[in-house]
Amino acid sequence: MANTESLENVVLELRRGVIVLAALSQLSTEEYGYSLLKKLADLGLEVDQGTLYPLLRRLEAQGLLESVWKLEEARPRRYYVISAEGKKLLPKMKKEWAGIVSVMDKMLS
Amino acid sequence: MNLIDRYVAEVGRHLLLVKGRTDIEKELRSTLEDMLEERAQKTGKPADEAMQVDMLKEYGAPHKVAETYNPNPYLIGPRIFPFFMFILKIVVAAVAFGLTIATAIQIMAASPMSAMELLSTIGKGLLNIVSACIAAFGNIALIFALIERYAPAAEFDIDEKKEWDPASLMKEPEPQEVKVWEPILAIVLTFIALSIFNFNPHLIGFYYLDGNEWQVTPLLSEAFFRWLPLMNIAWVAEIVMNGMLLRSGKWTTSSRFVSIGTKLLQIVILVLLIAGPSILALTTDNLQTAGVTDPEALNILETMANTGMDIVLGLGIFGSIVEIIKIIYKMVTNK
Repeated sequence: MANTESLENVVLELRRGVIVLAALSQLSTEEYGYSLLKKLADLGLEVDQGTLYPLLRRLEAQGLLESVWKLEEARPRRYYVISAEGKKLLPKMKKEWAGIVSVMDKMLS
Repeated sequence: MNLIDRYVAEVGRHLLLVKGRTDIEKELRSTLEDMLEERAQKTGKPADEAMQVDMLKEYGAPHKVAETYNPNPYLIGPRIFPFFMFILKIVVAAVAFGLTIATAIQIMAASPMSAMELLSTIGKGLLNIVSACIAAFGNIALIFALIERYAPAAEFDIDEKKEWDPASLMKEPEPQEVKVWEPILAIVLTFIALSIFNFNPHLIGFYYLDGNEWQVTPLLSEAFFRWLPLMNIAWVAEIVMNGMLLRSGKWTTSSRFVSIGTKLLQIVILVLLIAGPSILALTTDNLQTAGVTDPEALNILETMANTGMDIVLGLGIFGSIVEIIKIIYKMVTNK
């Protein structure tokens, strides 16, 4: 029981670490929160709403994302897209990620 | 108002102090409506209340959802907490100090007082100090809570960008530094001594119950009060020295000289008290009034008291000499 809980916590932490990169990588085109959530899930990364929405707001506050409200199907939706600053940062983040994967591969193989 | 509206309003209620609350609510509503629509499509049934209940249950308790939007749930966060503590200590010490002096002045102005009046004035003074300190704490906490909420991190990052130097761990703590409470306590006690010995000397005595009434027999004789002006000079010097310590926060050469002077004066006073007639008013008459009738007991009591007092005064002289040696040693070694 304790082992399952520990594993869940570790997996949660690992995912949390990659969500920023995952979200930025998928926002080259505009997406609203729920559509991004589904997009990530379709690609195999299940993210909790409680994690994704505050994260999007934080990334916007940091200037890495931009957002705009649009009225669609009589429903207002907030669309997010990567900002110029985010675009500059993304390749660096990808490089860091590749480095981490390579190091971890070596360690775990 | 449907369940989604109520849910969003409930989340909003927990976000009162979070920036962009309306935006968060709007986005949450939009998401929940999307989710509900998707469920309805999947099940092929129109969205009903039961479906909303299931969905909201899955989404989580409103306060937990609100928590995820509040990354800084502190009233006063770690960023400004050290600064808050620094200001709090200064203000509370100043308030306590100011009100203590006000109480001491009040006692002097209203003297002579009965023991009950004195106790009641001191009690009221203490209550005032406690309530003023609590009020000061509340006000400072409120101001810092507002700073925490509204001052952008970039404009208020005390020491956050300053590089930490491990060499600071190697620095010996300065023994010259004085803890704030020490001079404050010394000043308060000296004021109490000044006010009692000068304005309410009748309170120093033996208290005994005569029938239903408390009676007091004076403890100190005229021989003691003859030297009171000299003692007053020593006490005032003590207050001045502690005031200097409070102001500079550490021992300086001048405060050490004043301290040596005060100690020397104390030794002179103690020598005068030992050399002169007994400072205790333990005469046979007084003791008889207090209920001691056996002549032998009277004699023993008087001798014991006077010898005991000489020993106490002698110890006082010894203590002062040790203190002076310590101060001189510290001055020489600059510790």
